[in-house]
Amino acid sequence: MDRRSFLTLTTAGAAGLLASGGALLGSAVRFLFPSVYYEPPQKFKVGYAKDFPIGIPTFLPQEKIYIFRDEAKGFSAASAVCTHLGCTVQWFANDQRFHCPCHGSVFSADGAVVHGPAPKPLQWIEVTLAKDGQLQVDKNRSVADSYHLILPS
Amino acid sequence: MSALLKDLYRSIFRGDPPSTDKGKSELVFYNVWLHIHPAKVRKEHLKVGHTLYLGFISFFLFLILVVTGVALMLYYHPHPAKAYQDMKDLQFVVFLGPFLRNMHRWAAHAMVLFVFLHMCRVFYTGSYKAPRQFNWVVGVWLLLLTLGLSFTGYLLPWDQLAYWAITVGTNIAAYAPLAGPQIRILLLGGHSIGDQALLRFYVLHVCILPALVIALTMVHFWRIRKDGGLSRPLWKLDADSAPQGEPPRPGPASAEKTYGLMEVVTGKPLFEVLTPAEEEDLVFSYPYAFFREGVAFLLTVAATMVVSLVWNAPLEEIANPAKTPNPAKAPWYFLGLQEMVSHSAFLGGVLVPTLMVLALLALPYLDRNPSRRHADRRLVLWAFTVFAIANIVLILIGTFFRGAGWALVWPWAATAGGHG
Ligand code: HEM
Ligand code: FES
Repeated sequence: MDRRSFLTLTTAGAAGLLASGGALLGSAVRFLFPSVYYEPPQKFKVGYAKDFPIGIPTFLPQEKIYIFRDEAKGFSAASAVCTHLGCTVQWFANDQRFHCPCHGSVFSADGAVVHGPAPKPLQWIEVTLAKDGQLQVDKNRSVADSYHLILPS
Repeated sequence: MSALLKDLYRSIFRGDPPSTDKGKSELVFYNVWLHIHPAKVRKEHLKVGHTLYLGFISFFLFLILVVTGVALMLYYHPHPAKAYQDMKDLQFVVFLGPFLRNMHRWAAHAMVLFVFLHMCRVFYTGSYKAPRQFNWVVGVWLLLLTLGLSFTGYLLPWDQLAYWAITVGTNIAAYAPLAGPQIRILLLGGHSIGDQALLRFYVLHVCILPALVIALTMVHFWRIRKDGGLSRPLWKLDADSAPQGEPPRPGPASAEKTYGLMEVVTGKPLFEVLTPAEEEDLVFSYPYAFFREGVAFLLTVAATMVVSLVWNAPLEEIANPAKTPNPAKAPWYFLGLQEMVSHSAFLGGVLVPTLMVLALLALPYLDRNPSRRHADRRLVLWAFTVFAIANIVLILIGTFFRGAGWALVWPWAATAGGHG
């Protein structure tokens, strides 16, 4: 074997090894990400409009959301997940604010950060009317804090 | 018959009886578990004042954790529907259940503490300096693994502490630059905390992390030998001016002689001739070193047992995603971190901890001062002490001065959150 073909061969061999090593690593990383997520749906019905009191936010523990019903503006929904590190915020009627027990973030009634480590306001999510007349919430759809669902009366 | 027994015995234990010097050496020599020790060790290394046996105690606590942990595995299912009930069974139904669970929990707490103290000992005796820089690095990884084992461990009971710790912990990971959210998915095996997440943390806790600890501990111990044994105690530094435990370096070869492989590698003649003074400094590992290590082991086990008989490991209410306890406190060793993230998730949860770890890893390479004497090390002693005290102060604030809603309060007003 001459010098040239020896070098070609070793280069090809090294490249081959590197490529298979990379493929192996890539597959290993891919393996760690599940192909199917068996998780609760992000879009769900929360009940009929009449079930929600006016003025006091209703907490849905399973879904970790607050449903608001305003006399004039209609329905809106906010995620109860603190934007800091994910603890569940609690509504306090006395100061009309959300408080997070983990690191003390406080949010106003419209979700804005009053103080604390939370970097972002609470997430507002879309509320729509399902065909059967129930309210429906989709956690995957963020909306502006001005978003409200007004039902025809 | 007795000849047969004798044969059997001799086939297992080959050395002379350990009543002679040759037998004492062979005992160490022929035994795979013991030969991590040299046949003879320096007297000064057995002195409690040098190591305080903190590294040994860390190791013995790890052994306790392995034994009690395997026992707990027999009664634990890593599934949200079963895990908490298994804990209750361990508390009230399983024979010795509470005792084993207590031992596992308290040994875990103690291990975090003792590994930290061991690191401080190594620092203050300057034992991370050449040639031991790399063993310090191995040690830092062992510290991180110890914390990782604690974190993955206290999730397993699936109580409130577990659920909210995993929530906060994995959300901190999500603040990491570039791949943050992906890392969170990787840890949880999904987007939310459920059976996949518990299973992943379980596998990390009982398999991956312990395997890494065992592997690195082997490197750690092997390295101590290869770095020329333990560092010499500080009080010996003034006594002799010889280089401080430098690793053997090959000496100049002589053309007149043929060298064996051992001699080439170690640079020392195969049959070392010790001066009477050097000989005077050594004792046989058997029984002197083994006896002291045995005492340290028994004291560690006994202390863990006593604590486990008196205090029960905490267990909070069953995990409730809808309700975060108030205050929601991590175990004490993470309260410094919790205090920091309460100011900023990225700075306190990602940047500062990363810089702290990098500083620890780089320490032996940045500190190029060869002297181990305290008088020559003012600056670095000062820096490390500030580092250690800052960590302790943050932990104390988190433990005693934080109340509901993580507000600053006086210790007597602080409601104890879940810690344990
Ligand atoms: C699982 C955790 C650890 C275990 C089981 C362990 C075990 C040990 C043991 C048994 C020794 C022998 C002397 C003694 O008892 O002090 C030792 C020495 C040493 N350890 Fe560790 N260690 C751990 C973590 C660490 C950490 C966190 C560091 C530093 C960051 C470290 C750095 C060292 C160094 C440099 C030595 C040599 C000290 C000398 O020569 O005086 N180790 N370790
Ligand atoms: S998770 Fe809400 S303040 Fe940290």
